[in-house]
Amino acid sequence: MTLFKQIAIMISIFLVIILTTVLTLNFQSANTSVQDRLYEDAKNTASSLSLSLGSANGDVSMMSTMINANFDGGEYLIISLVDVDDILLYERTAESEYSEVPSWFLENITIEAPVASANVSAGWSQVGILNVQSDVAFAYKQLYTILMNLLISFGLITITALVVLYIILAAILKPLKEVQKQAEAVGRNEFIFQKNIPNTKEFKEVVLGMNKMVSKVKAMFDKGNAELKRQKELEYIDPTTKLRNRKYLIDKLPEYLKIDAASKGGINIMTSLSGLIEANEQIGHRDVDQLFNDIATIFRDHAQGYEDPLIARMNGTEFSILLPDCPSINALAIAEGISRDTATVIAKYELDADVVFIALGVYQYNYKQNIGQLLSGSDNALAQAKFKDSKIHLDKSLEDEEVMGKDDWRAVINKAIDTNSFEFVSWTAVDSKAKKVAHHALSLTMQADDKKYFYGQFMASANQIGLSSKIYQNIMQMMFKSPDMKLKNNVCSIRLSFEYMNMRETYTELSNLLKVYAHQLPFKLILEIPDKMFRQNSTQMQEYKALFEKYNIDMGIYEFIGESDDYQYLQDLRPVYIKGEPSYFLSQSDQALSALRLITDTVGITLIATGVMSIEALEKLQDKDIYVIQGKVTEIIELS
Amino acid sequence: MNILRFVLLLFIISTFSYASKPYVEKVLLKKITKKYKVFAKKRFFYQEKSLDSVRNKTDLEKLNKVNNFYNSVRYMSDLKVYKKKDYWATPWEFLGKDKGDCEDYVISKYFALLYLGVNSKKLFFTYVRSSKFKAAHMVLTYFKTPRSEPLILDNNNHKIFPASKRKDLTPIYNFNGESLYRASKKGNGKKVNSKKAHKKWDQLMRNMKNKKI
Repeated sequence: MTLFKQIAIMISIFLVIILTTVLTLNFQSANTSVQDRLYEDAKNTASSLSLSLGSANGDVSMMSTMINANFDGGEYLIISLVDVDDILLYERTAESEYSEVPSWFLENITIEAPVASANVSAGWSQVGILNVQSDVAFAYKQLYTILMNLLISFGLITITALVVLYIILAAILKPLKEVQKQAEAVGRNEFIFQKNIPNTKEFKEVVLGMNKMVSKVKAMFDKGNAELKRQKELEYIDPTTKLRNRKYLIDKLPEYLKIDAASKGGINIMTSLSGLIEANEQIGHRDVDQLFNDIATIFRDHAQGYEDPLIARMNGTEFSILLPDCPSINALAIAEGISRDTATVIAKYELDADVVFIALGVYQYNYKQNIGQLLSGSDNALAQAKFKDSKIHLDKSLEDEEVMGKDDWRAVINKAIDTNSFEFVSWTAVDSKAKKVAHHALSLTMQADDKKYFYGQFMASANQIGLSSKIYQNIMQMMFKSPDMKLKNNVCSIRLSFEYMNMRETYTELSNLLKVYAHQLPFKLILEIPDKMFRQNSTQMQEYKALFEKYNIDMGIYEFIGESDDYQYLQDLRPVYIKGEPSYFLSQSDQALSALRLITDTVGITLIATGVMSIEALEKLQDKDIYVIQGKVTEIIELS
Repeated sequence: MNILRFVLLLFIISTFSYASKPYVEKVLLKKITKKYKVFAKKRFFYQEKSLDSVRNKTDLEKLNKVNNFYNSVRYMSDLKVYKKKDYWATPWEFLGKDKGDCEDYVISKYFALLYLGVNSKKLFFTYVRSSKFKAAHMVLTYFKTPRSEPLILDNNNHKIFPASKRKDLTPIYNFNGESLYRASKKGNGKKVNSKKAHKKWDQLMRNMKNKKI
């Protein structure tokens, strides 16, 4: 129960007790007053009537008439006259009429009408004693009316007081509400700095304390952020040309060489500058560095126009230029352009073109190759190029014969979409330290023409023919409308592609879908979104975050290699985890990983290594405190 | 012989114990002395002596003794003594100050006679009109029986006369506080918690209870 409710209930009870007490006292006072009034009325009647009776000189008939006249004219229960020997001379009595007073009131309230007496004398002689008692029925009626009025008044006062109390309490506890919000935000790893410092001493100290804590955590985050940025410079950037380095290329290549890669293949141009020693001798290190800068500019210029190009300096003389979706026909033209422009630059530095020249090995790769195959193919092409006069050589990878053409795939996938022929399969992400399942990662199979296709078999083709987003639309509908009840009460994740998330209509579609179906989802859902989407579309991701939070859906990041210029987005968007390749985590320096840890620990993000295939890799990851893993090795971990 | 001695002893003890219940108790007398000084003490001493002298006498002797004793107190209006238009003084205030108005004489005589064993049913406070002074007045009336002619104890006329001899007084209203208490308690048969009879009388009773001096 909230403090507000507790205080409100306590004060309300207190208020009701006070008002009830006041009401009771008021009523008792009214009761006493009414009874006093009854006596006073009776006494006045007794006094005045006894004096009148004296004038009757003891004539009983006269006195009876006088008594009748008084009795009939007022509210009396009894008027009696007894003589000096205590013998009743005359008496009038009435039946009390309680028709206007409810029985419960009569049963619970006692009104006593005292008897007022007065001596009656005629001259010096005593006649007797006159007794007068007022009728309590009138008093009951009066008292009942008073009680009703009191109840109405106090009812109104109570309601008014409670409303005023609520308003005052809300105003007093408003700062506490802010403190509560701040505390809840800290619980969600959000760090809000409270600007409005309350005046109440206790609240003020709490807010100042929380602000101090938030500032410290924010400082820790900023420190981690700065350190990671610095490490990124050291880890991934060539200091001379500001191009990416070999390490970055190695970490980044999995994104290009994966089953559901956006590009099915392209070319990689491996270049080498010969005659570096001579150049250094002739123009000096500083000018040679400048020469490399100029050459890097040439590479950037020629890579323009291709989506997601990747230019990296492999070592002192070699560079790699990866151009996804670049056909081999264009590749040679690009290589020739680079060669020509480089020669011009070399000439500008008045270097001997026979000694200082560039060789370009053009290698056509496809997404099915691994990093080793791509690099060795590129190196081979470069080696061949060095022996050619043109210093350019094109090599093609030995592609597997595609069983199905694009049109065949389009027909199969469209049919599967139309017939809802997709199914979820789940893999587990395991916490190897706690020996527990961290969550279930959902993947897809596609059933078409009596054949089952796994995600890796159809998604690349779907990407190529532009149907991947349509597949995601289909499976998201499937997930929410007919969820797999076997996964009830589990935590499940599903990857959403950059293309799908980047589509304009996706937000609206998801919003409509969640509005209707999110409440009936039997499991906790984590939507995995590529790091690229987080980094490039932070505004859009803020909207997604708000949407998902509304329906208690978490976000995770995949394909993370820490290449951002600023990690503030991790704090702003607070994914529950970050998934990266083992090679990324293992290749990071201790400093870089510590900086990343500082950031993720500050905002409560778990690091997960995907595609862990061997115990050796697992042990290496564990050495770096990465315990949650995904991949083939999870099959051999014994869960507790 | 022994029985006679025992009876004599009992008589002495009872007489002593009876005598040990004075009209004004010692503690109260000390307070009165402290407030009204030594002359007042003397007045209270004579009061005790006067009342004791008629303790075993007839009602008439008691009436005469009491009437004579209190009529020696000086008359003075309430306005002068108590700065109030009308005030019913306790017997201790009346004798302590040694002055008072007609109600104060009546009150003191009434309680002194009760002390001496006169039945309260026989005594009435009677509002009268004095044709001599052309003013409202109060006297104490004694009814030997409820229907007999009352005797008038008046501070203006020091001698006690039957009512028929007091042509100068016109009776207006008789009242007896004790009888009214009894009557109101009986009421209509239901027991009613009442201690009210007459406004001035009720206040006097409270003052008496509180030993107001």
